[in-house]
Amino acid sequence: MSPADDDLVFRGAARQAALIREKRVSPVELVAAYLERIDRFDGRLRAFITVCRESAIEEAARAEGEGAKGKWLGPLHGIPFAVKDQVDTAGVLTTSGSALLRANIPSVDSTVVARLKAAGAILLGKLNLTEFALGGTIHFPYGQPRNPWNPNHDPGGSSSGSGIAAAAALCSVTLGEDTGGSVRSPASYCGGVGLRPTWGRVSRHGCFPAAWSMDQIGPLTRTVEDAALVLGIIAGYDAGDPLTSRSAVPDYRAALAGGAKGLRIGVITELVDDADTQAEVRSAVREAARGLAALGGAVEDISLPLIPLAGAVFMALCDSDAAGYHTRWLSERAAEYDQGTRRRLVTAGLIPAAAVHRAARARALIRKQVLEALSRFDLLLAPTSPHPAPLIASHTAPITSKEEAGTRFFGRRSYTTPASLAGVPAISVPCGFTPGGLPIGLQLMGRPFGELTVLNAAHAWEKAAGLCNRHPALG
Amino acid sequence: MADLTPEDVRRLAASLSLPMIGDDAVEVAHRLNAFLDALGGLGALPLEQGEPWPTRLVGAE
Repeated sequence: MSPADDDLVFRGAARQAALIREKRVSPVELVAAYLERIDRFDGRLRAFITVCRESAIEEAARAEGEGAKGKWLGPLHGIPFAVKDQVDTAGVLTTSGSALLRANIPSVDSTVVARLKAAGAILLGKLNLTEFALGGTIHFPYGQPRNPWNPNHDPGGSSSGSGIAAAAALCSVTLGEDTGGSVRSPASYCGGVGLRPTWGRVSRHGCFPAAWSMDQIGPLTRTVEDAALVLGIIAGYDAGDPLTSRSAVPDYRAALAGGAKGLRIGVITELVDDADTQAEVRSAVREAARGLAALGGAVEDISLPLIPLAGAVFMALCDSDAAGYHTRWLSERAAEYDQGTRRRLVTAGLIPAAAVHRAARARALIRKQVLEALSRFDLLLAPTSPHPAPLIASHTAPITSKEEAGTRFFGRRSYTTPASLAGVPAISVPCGFTPGGLPIGLQLMGRPFGELTVLNAAHAWEKAAGLCNRHPALG
Repeated sequence: MADLTPEDVRRLAASLSLPMIGDDAVEVAHRLNAFLDALGGLGALPLEQGEPWPTRLVGAE
């Protein structure tokens, strides 16, 4: 491999693609390097459900041959990517993390996968997730995913494998899907960059649904530049998803020099100062806010009093949708679900319609509050999670009271679901590490279709903080 | 409102043809009671001030 060192696998895809074009690295070598890491580490981390070994090697050889002839497919020519197993891939097992779909092989690629392939990227495999992307899985049918910084800790979900694979350099870039934080949470817990685009910015065609009004596919990568690069490829109108926007897609990566100067940034006090937010998270996020101010941002606190309700409101709406999707399987194949998923879906099926209606009206109020704040500020800043990655054992224990259920299921979600309920873009970037070596995530939310502002501020912070050069020691 | 018991939950689920396996009813009761408390509390908000439309209309941007 040339340049022949381990650094190559941790480099951003944008840089790797440049090295391929300069013929300093070959796609075959890059794919082989990641396959070797998967062989070494994934037995323990369980990021992958399926590794497309043979097809990836063949595609890499083809990409190398085309490159030798000066034929470049696109900006990701020869770059190995992996995608959450919720997203269809033609001819490749697509399980949605469930035993119910253990034999599901789609015949057509999802739109996002087709677009990445058209840009020259090579499918390396399918990534583990909580069952049906719902969160709360107790027994993962394809192996327990583990945090690369400490295998006793949760990698986050639902895009668990995407977070692991990006942080542990098991591929160049990944895609996740974020309904209520499922890209941002694993990014936060694993020390990656996770972007939830504006609802309607990216096609969901070929993605197993959770909640139609909030599902959104997004990049989970090692750098902000890669998130911008991937978003530019997957974004845009798609006839396969009539809810995609027809608004023009900017060249996000080319416009990344904007920085944070002059941006008005509101720090959401309910999320930063809440008693549930651990002190080390609060400290790291406040430090990041000061860092953005030093980069020229105008940073001030803002109170959004409805935000703490977001978790419960989101769960009522998301889970009701999900229970609807799963009605038939729940009645015919209930025992094939993980018990955590089954209990979540059955619970949702029992929530009175009037209560769901209240949640829908409360959502409108939360969205109004978020959008009004974003009319005063360019960005809203908060922790991605109130705590670093918890122990895996902490969320597989039985639930013994309604208070515990509320804390476990609603509290943490109030940090990521405001962006989901409002349909606005949000990113998680690393902003520090705990004394125990676990990453802490900073969340920046932007205006609808304001991804460029979100990415620019995140990029400026990333460069200033220098945390993307820190990698988990996998042995 | 009094909390629902696992037996209440079993009866409700049966009436809706929803499955209950093993001790599911115990945990489902805790989960459902948490939802009913949280969503009941929303009644204190001025919910009539906004229509419950689920998302911004794509194309309106």
